[in-house]
Amino acid sequence: MEDDVVADLVKQLVKRLLPSPGNSTEKSSSSSNGEQQQTTLDRAFQYAMRIIGSRIAPSLASDEVAMAESIKRQLVQEGRSSDALTFADLHRRFASLSGTGTVENRWAVLYLLRAVSEDQRRDAAETKRTAVPFTSTLSGPAAVGGLQALPKAAEHPKLQVSQLDAPASSSPRSSLRNGSLRLPRQQAGSSDHGPQGGVLILSKDGDNVKSIAIREYIEISQVDSEVTEAALVRDVVYACQGIDGRYVKFDEDQDGYVIDANVKVPKTTRVLVRRLCEVGWLFRRVRNHISESLEDGPLEAIGTVGQAFCAALQEELGDYYRLMAVLETQIYNPIPFMSGGATCSGGNFLSIRRLAVWLAEPLTRMRLMAVLVDDCKTLRGGAMAGAIHMHLQHGGPLVRSFLRRLMRRVCAPIYEMIRRWVLEGEVDDLYGEFFVVAQPVKAEALWRQGYQLQTSMLPSFIPEPLAKRILRTGKSINFLRVCCEDQGWAKAAAAAVATVRASANGRGGLGYGETEALESLVAEAAGRIDRHLIQIVYNRYKFRDQCLAIKRYLLLGQGDFIQYLMDLVGSELSLPANNLSAFKLSGTLESAIRASNAQYDDGDILDRLRVKMMPHGDGDRGWDVFSLQYDAREPLTTVFTEDIMATYLRIFNFLWRLKRVDHALSATWQTMKPNCSVGRASAIKGDGVKSELTVVLRRCQTLRNEMNHFVTNLQYYIMFEVLEFSWANFLAEMEVAHDLDELIAAHEKYLSSIVEKALLGERSQLLCKTLFSLFDLILRFRGLADRLFENAREMEARNQNATRQRPKRDFHSGSFNGRKSSMSSLSGDFLTSISEEMDACAVEYSSLLEGFIAQLPVQQHVDLKFLSFRLDFSEYYTRQHMSMSTTPLKFRRTSLKI
Amino acid sequence: MPREIITLQVGQCGNQIGMEFWKQLCLEHGISKAGILEDFATQGGDRKDVFFYQADDEHYIPRALLLDLEPRVINSIQNSEYRNLYNHENVFVADHGGGAGNNWASGYHQGEQVEEDIMDMIDREADGSDSLEGFVLCHSIAGGTGSGMGSYLLEALNDRYSKKLVQTYSVFPNQMETSDVVVQPYNSLLTLKRLTLNADCVVVLDNTALNRIAVDRLHIPNPTFAQTNSLVSTVMSASTTTLRYPGYMNNDLVGLVASLIPTPRCHFLMTGYTPLTVERQANAIRKTTVLDVMRRLLQAKNIMVSSYARTKDASQAKYISILNIIQGEVDPTQVHKSLQRIRERKLANFIEWGPASIQVALSRKSPYVQTAHRVSGLMLASHTSIRHLFSKCISQYEKLRKKQAFLDNYRKFPMFADNDFGEWRIDLRPSLEKATPQAPWTQEFHFCRTSSQKVSARLAGRKVSVHNIEGATV
Repeated sequence: MEDDVVADLVKQLVKRLLPSPGNSTEKSSSSSNGEQQQTTLDRAFQYAMRIIGSRIAPSLASDEVAMAESIKRQLVQEGRSSDALTFADLHRRFASLSGTGTVENRWAVLYLLRAVSEDQRRDAAETKRTAVPFTSTLSGPAAVGGLQALPKAAEHPKLQVSQLDAPASSSPRSSLRNGSLRLPRQQAGSSDHGPQGGVLILSKDGDNVKSIAIREYIEISQVDSEVTEAALVRDVVYACQGIDGRYVKFDEDQDGYVIDANVKVPKTTRVLVRRLCEVGWLFRRVRNHISESLEDGPLEAIGTVGQAFCAALQEELGDYYRLMAVLETQIYNPIPFMSGGATCSGGNFLSIRRLAVWLAEPLTRMRLMAVLVDDCKTLRGGAMAGAIHMHLQHGGPLVRSFLRRLMRRVCAPIYEMIRRWVLEGEVDDLYGEFFVVAQPVKAEALWRQGYQLQTSMLPSFIPEPLAKRILRTGKSINFLRVCCEDQGWAKAAAAAVATVRASANGRGGLGYGETEALESLVAEAAGRIDRHLIQIVYNRYKFRDQCLAIKRYLLLGQGDFIQYLMDLVGSELSLPANNLSAFKLSGTLESAIRASNAQYDDGDILDRLRVKMMPHGDGDRGWDVFSLQYDAREPLTTVFTEDIMATYLRIFNFLWRLKRVDHALSATWQTMKPNCSVGRASAIKGDGVKSELTVVLRRCQTLRNEMNHFVTNLQYYIMFEVLEFSWANFLAEMEVAHDLDELIAAHEKYLSSIVEKALLGERSQLLCKTLFSLFDLILRFRGLADRLFENAREMEARNQNATRQRPKRDFHSGSFNGRKSSMSSLSGDFLTSISEEMDACAVEYSSLLEGFIAQLPVQQHVDLKFLSFRLDFSEYYTRQHMSMSTTPLKFRRTSLKI
Repeated sequence: MPREIITLQVGQCGNQIGMEFWKQLCLEHGISKAGILEDFATQGGDRKDVFFYQADDEHYIPRALLLDLEPRVINSIQNSEYRNLYNHENVFVADHGGGAGNNWASGYHQGEQVEEDIMDMIDREADGSDSLEGFVLCHSIAGGTGSGMGSYLLEALNDRYSKKLVQTYSVFPNQMETSDVVVQPYNSLLTLKRLTLNADCVVVLDNTALNRIAVDRLHIPNPTFAQTNSLVSTVMSASTTTLRYPGYMNNDLVGLVASLIPTPRCHFLMTGYTPLTVERQANAIRKTTVLDVMRRLLQAKNIMVSSYARTKDASQAKYISILNIIQGEVDPTQVHKSLQRIRERKLANFIEWGPASIQVALSRKSPYVQTAHRVSGLMLASHTSIRHLFSKCISQYEKLRKKQAFLDNYRKFPMFADNDFGEWRIDLRPSLEKATPQAPWTQEFHFCRTSSQKVSARLAGRKVSVHNIEGATV
């Protein structure tokens, strides 16, 4: 029945507001015009009905002033300042109305007006653009049926004004209270038309019926209750503030506020009160937490974040107190009821049920706070912020806005810490709440160990990469300050702040939810400070030069220097290790530097080059313990840590060993070089003894050639595929490295690539062992060859003395008969024994080498393919292998594949 | 304590190529014509002290001895812009200035007579160096002074500095055209013997091939000596770059040569160079890459030794060892790819009796010399086809010897005076390629002494005789 009444009313209203053909344009109206008019009316009517039917609650806080302000602002923005003024005037008049006819829910009226006007505007825009019929926020959810647009406001220029005028002049009130929207339907009632009166009476009747029913209900409900509702309400309000009332008291057993068991109240009331008092229970928890944290415990226990949290809670509680105060006044004063005339009974005082409505929202908030308090009791600092942040992942707008407000307060200390850390490098953290932890370390370990991310203190809303970036930025500042004694970072930091401020248009200010601001600040600061640091490392500490120097001296890149060093220390190093004098070796190093091109190097770099004697045991020769060392000095020790230098040492030892073998083979070659007299003897066709010597010499030469081939190609491999290749990659990475971490990573990659490829890695231990035994064998061969040639030379010298009286260069000489006898006597045992030794050496060598080559393809990493490719370039070993055995070995297969 | 190298330039040809060589070195090290370091030559990294030393006034002096029996070439050097570069004490010109008359015996004999003077100079230079690595001799083998006196010096050096390396850059005569030196075959053969016995490493520069390269590759219709000499100086300077610009490897002559010469007798090296340009020939600039350079170096037309081999023999020829010195801006990673490609395409045949490979040395380029090409390469190789060059020498010698021609000129000198004319002839095993791993050393040049009658008799059969060297095979 009521629906009809409403519909009727609305129809009236529509008719009145829309200029009907009958009223204004009667003469000009045609039949089609009339039809159009009719459809317009229908549509407007339907629209109004939809609005009434819709149950859209505004998500905004109800604030009349704000609403009015927003409407005004909008008008001004649209350039309708005069309209805005008019509106302000109207609103003032509207608001100042008192007594009967006062519109109780002015805010709702304003809201509706605004919504309708926005709706129309959007509709207009949309039809203009896409011709899609009318969908919008207001009618959107309900517009499934395809509601037609309301006639344009532009057609009724007076509409808004008259609408606003209407309530001002309206006297009777509609008492429709069923919707969440209190519609300004009463505006319709302001008209002079008759039908309204009837409706109003009807409505009054309804009111009467209702109030009678309520009165009856109250009477009935109070029959079996000892306590008046008012008293209960008061108690509940007290309980909500944590105070025991007369009837409602805190019961430890039930852990909650209950009505005294002795008081006789209906069960429903009891339950209701119990439920309402949950707020009080929660309130107690929150309050206790605050007081415990702030008053009792030491500050260290909660930290600044905890403090901020408590303060924020306290502020929320302040709001809560205010609400309670209002409620308390309402207990004694009748509620200003909407219909002024309806103050007939006590029903207008605050009832328990009303209280339930009032407390619904504070309850959610209080519940949330209590949950937070429980969650955060044991947490501190960043962890606490993180925990609260987790609660923010909530769908409810109320919860979210509340938590966001809270978080802003809670996170303020954290953001301040971040700001100081990123811009000043200070850990401003007395109570261990920051996610960056400083550790007292020596300057050289500052970068690697000085500061760490404490993940437990990292709030979950700061992503890990960002946190790392933050950590590095501050670390860079500290590194610059402590290790580099540089002040330039301050300028970089200031520039970063300025840039951020400029780009943020003064909106700046770090805070929770401003992740972008934080990110841009960190990015700016990190970028600038890292750049500054890299520049310092490159320019002041000459990182590139240091790396190059290490490559040249420790990785033997400066060939001439290494050669002289080898020449000079060679004899020294053959001594037992404990006979060596480091002092003497340093002198040798010095002269090697002076003799080679190293002398043109930077003096600073040369100063850092030292001889290092490794710890040695019994029987170690100088070769085993000698090595070079490069002192990188602070602050570059951050890159060249002790571990790194130890790795360099390993590489140096390997390369040095290889060079020594190479050197030995060269020296051997020199003893048997083409123009030496012993060698020449072989060219002269002689007798049996002579040819025996020749055979040994030739065997020696072939073996040397094979060894030389191996060593040379191994060196080429080391040079091209290992050192130069890794170096080129390193240079490229150095070029793009933005910060010290990347630089360190690039350097470590460089080093590990060398270790891996130079057979020094874990995986190639076996290979390396074989290699070293090959080296040892080659050195043994050198001794053998030296002995052979020395003896051969001696033999020849004796021969010459015995048989040749003529000058040596006389080519008429050479009576071999004389030689023959002495040669045969001399040769004998020596030749046989050395020939056997040489054979043994050759056999061992070829078996070792075969083992080595066979192991190569079994290795995991690809680069060794290059080595086997080089060693077997002419496929000599493949052929040899094939001729020696018919079983296909891995080596053969792969080498054929290459 | 650099590994110093002393250069001896003997005879007309030796002094000419030597001068070109020093010119080139001065350019590359930024040393002016008077020996003063140029102002722009501030970029270090090069080692000047291998080939130069500094006088008290800091000007650089080449470790070079200029020796000749006639004054013409040396005078022209001393009148050139470079006159202040050399140490004047290191110049030796025979008093009579009559030269050796293209007679090996005359050169050898005169060398013997002035041994003391020359050895004084050598000793002085040797004492002036901290750790002498060896000697480089530049000469031609065809004339009188370079071949005869050069031969004598080789023997003397071998005797006195037996532990030092002796490397020679020997210019072989142009055998395509008739030489004005009729006794050239005699001279060549006599010198060849000393090169075989008394030198450690002989870089063969074949005038025939140099001419061919100048005509074919550089399109110079009638190449002058100056032009071919500039080719020689390019090769000489390129082959010493690793000594002058130190790197990880090949920093000394011994190391360089030791891996090239597996057995003592195979110490004759061929060279190849690419890309070749003569001065201010800018039109022929092409793109150079490591692979491109290495591939070209393996092509016979870029080799500076004519093989004289018939096609069948040529296809059987094999490399004993190869060293490529690549100069310029090279990405080290390209080396491996190039090697791979060369092996895939089988561009180089290697001996089967031992391991062999293409060694690649990367060297810096002088920052003071602008070249049109980014990458250039020099190949030093020991190749079996070089025996054909010797065969050619022998056959020419034998032609002449058969006629007993011009022997009188030689009999004038003591070593041939008793008419015991040294019939040193070279025997080669015909096929170095077929050596086995068990007997790789059979590919040796063998000298023996036979009577002239025997030779003539054998030569009547028109065949290059082959000695079956029983002693040489196991």
